[in-house]
Amino acid sequence: MKDLSLEISEGETLVLLGSSGCGKTTTLKMINRLVEPTTGSIQVDDCNVMDADPVELRRSIGYVFQGIGLFPHMTVRDNVEVVPRLLGWSHKERRTRAAELLALVGLPSEEYGERYPDELSGGQQQRVGVARALAADPAYLLMDEPFGALDALTRDVLQRELLGLKQRLAKTIVFVTHDIFEALTLGDRIAILDAGSLQQVGSPEEIIEQPATDFVRELFGKPAKQLAAFQGMMP
Amino acid sequence: MIFGWVSFVAERSSELWLRTAEHILLTGVSTGIAIAFGVPLGILAARSPWLRAPLLGAISILQTIPSLAMLAILLALLQKIGSLPAVVALVLYALLPIVRNTLTGIEEVSSDILEAARGLGMTPRQQLWAVQLPLAMPTIVAGVRTAAVVCVGIATLSAFIGAGGLGQFINRGLALANTPLILLGAIPAALLAIAVDLSISAFDWGRKPLRKGAAHPLKAVLKPLALAAPLLLVSAGPLSFLGFRMQVASQAKGSPSLTESVCIATKNFIEQILLGELMAQIIEEKTDLAVERRFNLGGTMICHGALESGEVDLYAEYTGTALAAVLEREPVTNPAEALQIVKSEYRKRFACEWLPPFGFNNTYAITVRREEARENGWEKISDLSDRAAGLSAGFTSEFMERPDGYPGLSKKYGIQFGQIRDLDPSLMYEAIAKEEVDVVCAFSTDGRIAAYDLEPLDDDLAFFPPYQAAPVVRRETLRKHPEVRDVLELLAGALDDSAMQNLNYQADEEKKSPVEVARRFLERNPKQTVDRAK
Repeated sequence: MKDLSLEISEGETLVLLGSSGCGKTTTLKMINRLVEPTTGSIQVDDCNVMDADPVELRRSIGYVFQGIGLFPHMTVRDNVEVVPRLLGWSHKERRTRAAELLALVGLPSEEYGERYPDELSGGQQQRVGVARALAADPAYLLMDEPFGALDALTRDVLQRELLGLKQRLAKTIVFVTHDIFEALTLGDRIAILDAGSLQQVGSPEEIIEQPATDFVRELFGKPAKQLAAFQGMMP
Repeated sequence: MIFGWVSFVAERSSELWLRTAEHILLTGVSTGIAIAFGVPLGILAARSPWLRAPLLGAISILQTIPSLAMLAILLALLQKIGSLPAVVALVLYALLPIVRNTLTGIEEVSSDILEAARGLGMTPRQQLWAVQLPLAMPTIVAGVRTAAVVCVGIATLSAFIGAGGLGQFINRGLALANTPLILLGAIPAALLAIAVDLSISAFDWGRKPLRKGAAHPLKAVLKPLALAAPLLLVSAGPLSFLGFRMQVASQAKGSPSLTESVCIATKNFIEQILLGELMAQIIEEKTDLAVERRFNLGGTMICHGALESGEVDLYAEYTGTALAAVLEREPVTNPAEALQIVKSEYRKRFACEWLPPFGFNNTYAITVRREEARENGWEKISDLSDRAAGLSAGFTSEFMERPDGYPGLSKKYGIQFGQIRDLDPSLMYEAIAKEEVDVVCAFSTDGRIAAYDLEPLDDDLAFFPPYQAAPVVRRETLRKHPEVRDVLELLAGALDDSAMQNLNYQADEEKKSPVEVARRFLERNPKQTVDRAK
């Protein structure tokens, strides 16, 4: 990573956009110290993350993983309860919270709570992943290409649900994706990375209207052309 | 045929209970200890990569030691016979599959899941207990399963060092060349291995959580039961032992309660077992002592070690063997002198007494087929010297190593046989009869010399030292129970060469049980009916 400087305001969704290997996931992981930066500093709530206890830091930041990362030996409910359990919540608090969250992501716990991850579809699994990240009601949510492995239709549904959640929960979200449309749909602002360096940060409109570099122009220009060509084919 | 089998098993059912119980307990305890050490070692290896290679290497090397050698090494290290060295050996063998599978199981947890555990804020310890171990469980259970089945198999060998178990039947069956007896040990051992395998499979099934989709009321009942299957099997050990106690109690009405006892050992060949039985029965008959039989131990040094450490009170030893193998002295050809030396040396060094010999001299006899001896005009060992290179010999492993065995013989007579095969004592006679070998190191009192039409050659250079058999007893035992000396002296001189050959023949060839042969001998021999002990 080179000279990366980003500020994220409270309640905002920042999308890190770039092709594979550009450093977006690394950037994300540095926030909760799954990867440690060699130089520079990352501040969360005005505290340098390097001064925080990594275990406590991670418990205070929700994380939705690229490979979903549900624990296959735990039921859906136990998966959602992981962080509350680590934080020492009582059984009753955990149960209530898990039921609430599973309802929020559309998987009522009476029906899904006792199931195991492999009994769910990919979309359902990632809904559980989102519920798990939200379990301890963290102010921050890190999402690492959470919908990357899903089919287009499911992805579309989940994106819309996430938009709804965002409005209701007012979380600060950092969202990693390589999908331009996903970035445009979800991002309040988009940060475009290429080969470890930041190309441009701005709202979707700014980026489309005033691309800062050739890379950004190319990145957005191509899909636009494809879309035009595709529309030409439609009757 | 079937009826014969049923009664054969029924006669031995009380011992079958006992041996099965011992076998289950040996296996269960060893596997349990191996799990207690193996799983933590596996975890340790998974967490400290530098430990991994040396640890796995060391455990793998242990695994390559042949089981009998392992038992012998432990015997020497622990200075004990019985279940302790057996359990230690079994634990060492069971360790590898458990450690390796624990390590593999932990390492195979996918990196995605591990990153999720880390990313959600689990400490390394929480990652281990909440994620890695539960996910490694199927692999660990598979390792335990391998270990337990291996233990059932190897436990059959622990009979060699007096740890009991079903191997006792196999051992005795081999010593007596009695196939049904071998099967009486081998079949239950095989069934036990299957039962162990099934019980651990059941555990593995019971361990898996009940799934909502596939829930069935019966499963909810069966799962906990399956989980307990290995425990149920292990607890069958004490139960089986109880079965043995009840049978014994019902047989011995007005039970002999807890009388004092002496413990008699024997080596693992028929003459030793007969001598053991003779001594045991005469003690049981003519004193108030009970006798604990620890027969069929795997060789001279095991018997001697057990005697020295006080685990057994007495066994029958041969003067020549004591001189060469125990005292490591040069062979002595004069029988009286040999007896005098072992008497005083045993008194000084081991606090053990040699009682008067039984009478016969069971020396090694270089033996050929009678027909061949006649054709070639062989009468004495020297006659073989010019033909030896073309002959194949079958010798016991002990004979091959002892200075008063082949090494000394070959020097004294200048004989080198063309080919030499290590044979079990019980197989040697059959091998020469079937012309698989031409020369064997028979024992001069062996009933099979006559039975197989063999000819012992004359030891014309007086190489073989005398092997007079006599009871060797701990001084401690004689002090506590002086009557033991009195009754064993009744057997002094009671057995000459031909009498011993005859008893050996009855047991070896006529397949009579040693207990029976010994009993009939004592009944018929008028000398022993005079009750001088009381």
